Amino acid sequence: MREFVVPKTDTKILGTIELEYAFKLTAHYDPPQESHTPRGTFRYQDIVSGEVSGARITASVYPDSGGQYDTVRSDRVRDVDAHFMVKADNGEWLYMEHVGYRRTDGYYRAIAYIETDLKGAYEWMNNTTFVVTAKESADQREVVFYYYIAN
Amino acid sequence: MSSFNQDTGSADEAISRRRFLSGATTAGAVALSGLALSAQSRGDEALPPNWFEGPDPGIPKVGLRWAFSATVFFADRVMINTMDSPAGRGYTSVGGGEIWGPRLQGRVLPHSGADYYKTSFTTYYMFQAADGALIFIHNRGTMRRFAAHYEPGKPLMPAPAPPAKQDSVWTRFRATPVFTAPLGPHEWMNRTVFVASSQRQANPDHTVFTYYEVL
Repeated sequence: MREFVVPKTDTKILGTIELEYAFKLTAHYDPPQESHTPRGTFRYQDIVSGEVSGARITASVYPDSGGQYDTVRSDRVRDVDAHFMVKADNGEWLYMEHVGYRRTDGYYRAIAYIETDLKGAYEWMNNTTFVVTAKESADQREVVFYYYIAN
Repeated sequence: MSSFNQDTGSADEAISRRRFLSGATTAGAVALSGLALSAQSRGDEALPPNWFEGPDPGIPKVGLRWAFSATVFFADRVMINTMDSPAGRGYTSVGGGEIWGPRLQGRVLPHSGADYYKTSFTTYYMFQAADGALIFIHNRGTMRRFAAHYEPGKPLMPAPAPPAKQDSVWTRFRATPVFTAPLGPHEWMNRTVFVASSQRQANPDHTVFTYYEVL
C-alpha cells in the first residue's frame, strides 16, 4: 500500500443539515415470504397498494409495482431494499428507492431516492436526499413512511 | 464539467465551527457551554442532536446528531466520455484523509478507492479507525443548486443560469453512506442511517464531509 501524506489543514468546519418534512406514505404489503440464502434470510414482500399525502403531493403507490427485498442479518436487523412506482394524481410517475435498516423494534430508518419527470410538477424531488422514518404494523402488512428533505 | 466533489459550497454554507457551537449552546442547555469550549479546541466532542418535526404532532420527529467528519484529499480526476453523455463516467481517486469527531476517529486508508460518478457520485473506499479496524464506505450523493441558502418555511428557488451573478447560489450537496464495519466497537455503523453534507475547500484542495446519524 502506498502511503499518503495528509496535508495539514485547520478546516474544522461543520456543515449543517436541516430536515424539512415533505410527505407520508402508507404502504400495504402481502405477507412476507422468506427463503434461506447464502447471504442470510431473504425476505420478499409484494407492495399491493399505498397512499401518499403531503402539502406538495397527493399520489398512490402503483399496485404490484415492486416491493421490499430485504435481507435479515445475523443481528436480526433487516437490510431494507425497497423499490416501487408511485403515480401522482396529475398522472406523473415517480420511481422510489429506499435503502436503510429495519431494527428489531419494528422501526425503520432509511434514505429514499426519487426519480421524476424533469418537466413535471415533482421535478424538485430529483437529486434530493430524503431521510425516512417508518414503523411497521404488528402483522408486518402495513408500513407508514415519513419523508423529510435533507436541506 | 466538474465532478460532484469539486463543487464549492457557498460561503454561508460553510459555517465555522465556532458559529455552529455558539448556536448550539444558545439553543441548548447552559451546562453545555463548557463542553462547547473544549470541543472547539479538540474537534471531537459530542454535540446535542437537532430534532425536526412535521406540521402535525402525529408525524414522528427525526433527529440528526453529529457523528464524525472526514477530510478527504482527492487525487486523479478522469472522465470516460463526458457528463453530457449517457455513457459519461467520472473517476476521482481518493488519496487519503483524516476522520475526526465524537463517534469515530482515524484516517482514510490511503489510495483505498475512488468516486466513480455518473449523474451523481458513487464512492467506494476504506476508513481505518484509530484502533486499526477497516470500515468500508459506499457513498451515494445528490446535488442541486439553489438561488439562496435554505431557510425554514421559505421555498427554494432554482439557481439563476450564468451569466447571472452566482454569489448567493447555494449548492445543496448531500451524501448518504452505507458502512460495513467489523463486529466490535464500530458495529453500530452497520445499523445506523447517516446523512452528510459535503463542502470543498481550497488551498490545499480537499473536501470535508460532516456525517450525521439519523436518530
